[in-house]
Amino acid sequence: MSIETTIFILRLLAGLSLVGFLLTLFSVIWRNLNQLERSAASPSAQHGYLIREGPEQTDNAERWALRPIVTLGRAGGNAIVVNDDFASAEHARIILERGKWWLEDRQSRNGTRLNDDQIKHRTILADGDVIGIGNYRYRIHIHP
Amino acid sequence: MTSTEVDKPLSIVRLVVGSSGTGNRWLLLALATTFVFAGMAAIALDRPTQAGLWTTFAIWLLCSAGATLVMKLCLPAHDPLLLALPLFLSGWGLVAIERLAPPFADRQAIWLVISVVAMLAAACLPHLLRWLRRYRYSLLAAALLLLLATIALGRNPSGLEFAPRLWLSIGSIYFQPSELMKIILVAFMATYLAEQSATHRAEQSDAGSRFPASPRLLGPILLMWLLSMVILVWQRDLGTAMLFFIVFLLLLYFSSGDQRILVAGVTLILLAGLAAYQLFPVVQLRVDIWLNPWPEADGRAYQIVQSLMAFASGGIFGAGVGQGFPEYIPVVHSDFVFAAIAEEWGLLGVIGILSCLGVLAWRGLAIAMTHPGAAFHKLLAVAITMTLLAQALMIMAGVLKLLPLTGVTLPFVSYGGSSLLACHIMIGLLLRLSAGAR
Repeated sequence: MSIETTIFILRLLAGLSLVGFLLTLFSVIWRNLNQLERSAASPSAQHGYLIREGPEQTDNAERWALRPIVTLGRAGGNAIVVNDDFASAEHARIILERGKWWLEDRQSRNGTRLNDDQIKHRTILADGDVIGIGNYRYRIHIHP
Repeated sequence: MTSTEVDKPLSIVRLVVGSSGTGNRWLLLALATTFVFAGMAAIALDRPTQAGLWTTFAIWLLCSAGATLVMKLCLPAHDPLLLALPLFLSGWGLVAIERLAPPFADRQAIWLVISVVAMLAAACLPHLLRWLRRYRYSLLAAALLLLLATIALGRNPSGLEFAPRLWLSIGSIYFQPSELMKIILVAFMATYLAEQSATHRAEQSDAGSRFPASPRLLGPILLMWLLSMVILVWQRDLGTAMLFFIVFLLLLYFSSGDQRILVAGVTLILLAGLAAYQLFPVVQLRVDIWLNPWPEADGRAYQIVQSLMAFASGGIFGAGVGQGFPEYIPVVHSDFVFAAIAEEWGLLGVIGILSCLGVLAWRGLAIAMTHPGAAFHKLLAVAITMTLLAQALMIMAGVLKLLPLTGVTLPFVSYGGSSLLACHIMIGLLLRLSAGAR
């Protein structure tokens, strides 16, 4: 085998294994993201879920999976979009820290309520708590 | 036949094939091995003696396979991509160094062994994160002492009189303390800001929508800026000074979410840059050849111009390992290894490096988002990721002449033992965090 052929084969091998490495990388990421989406779509996701209770009570109320960070607000980028005139664009968020779920107001104009009390500082959430933003109310279910 | 006898061969099969979803670690390792092998074989074609080259390859393979196996046994919950990427990149780095500066490759291989062992230790020692937190002031004091020692006793391996003296030496082994300082500072910043974050938040909600610029916030920024300036003034180490300050700024922004920090920080960097431009010829040179290298293309701007030539001649698929002329770039194996990769592996190689670093950064930030622990763990993950990312961007943009050149190494790829060690220890900590450790 001439040296040119050997070099060409080696280059082909290097190129293919590089592309293969990157494709494997992306396929792992793709599968992880799909898995995340599936776990978010199922209402009884691993951490728990949030369910809308107000303003009007309906039979098939909206549900969201509880994730380590859940943002609430009027802007479209939030995990839970609150369509209420009293809601700020970036209103509040729920975060997981030290194994506890915390509710945090993000300097919203009209404040965030926890079981009908206005919160001043970030507060630990318990299973069954109701978060109030404007006219909207969300009940949180935390799996033990 | 008892059930344990049945289970044993099964568990070995599972060990090699991997359980569903994580089996990719061995596929990734196999592809990385093929890639490194192809590179080494291409270099071996015109080498009279090939023993050293294949020893380097064997060392890399043993380190990678060993690390993958140990991590799977000790910390099964870790993120397999965070392990595969550094191993792949350091293998690529070894090929590049073997190609560009063969005498340095053996030394780099030895450093790789030390680094991988340190990475496994950082990932598997059970109480390391707690110790980092508890002894942060002692560690910081030790780091500052090291910095002072480098200012007083520093050397340069090349022995030239005016070269920057950033190394400490024991016999013939040179070590760059600023690399070790990087890890300690990153851990220290994370603990400090985690401690302050509760106070920040209380002040924030008391003062209404915007919190006042408290000394608790401004103090550390100014201190950090001073430290960076000391490094810059006494050591002329532009890259490290910039890196420390940028990482600290980003971390402060991450922990408080206040955009004014970014504005203030960029202003301070620009001011320091202007002052440094007036005062230090090194900085002046770097900025001048960044603005226009062509009048001095065969003089002071020779290195950067040759680097641009290398990028241009690489094309899409590159010249092939050993087929290009990256040797024209002075000291190509350390700071300019990215240019050599662009020439011999082409655009494909550049996209490969960028993808690997991008995925690494994303996985690091994903840890910060999902880690169930305290603010310290999240901030540590952010700090490590940002250090690696900022360093990589600074040098890649530098050799492409997008930014003034700052002499830092490309993580995992460039020649440099202390840098390789520091990067691997940081990855070890990230791996531990990715397993959800407290």
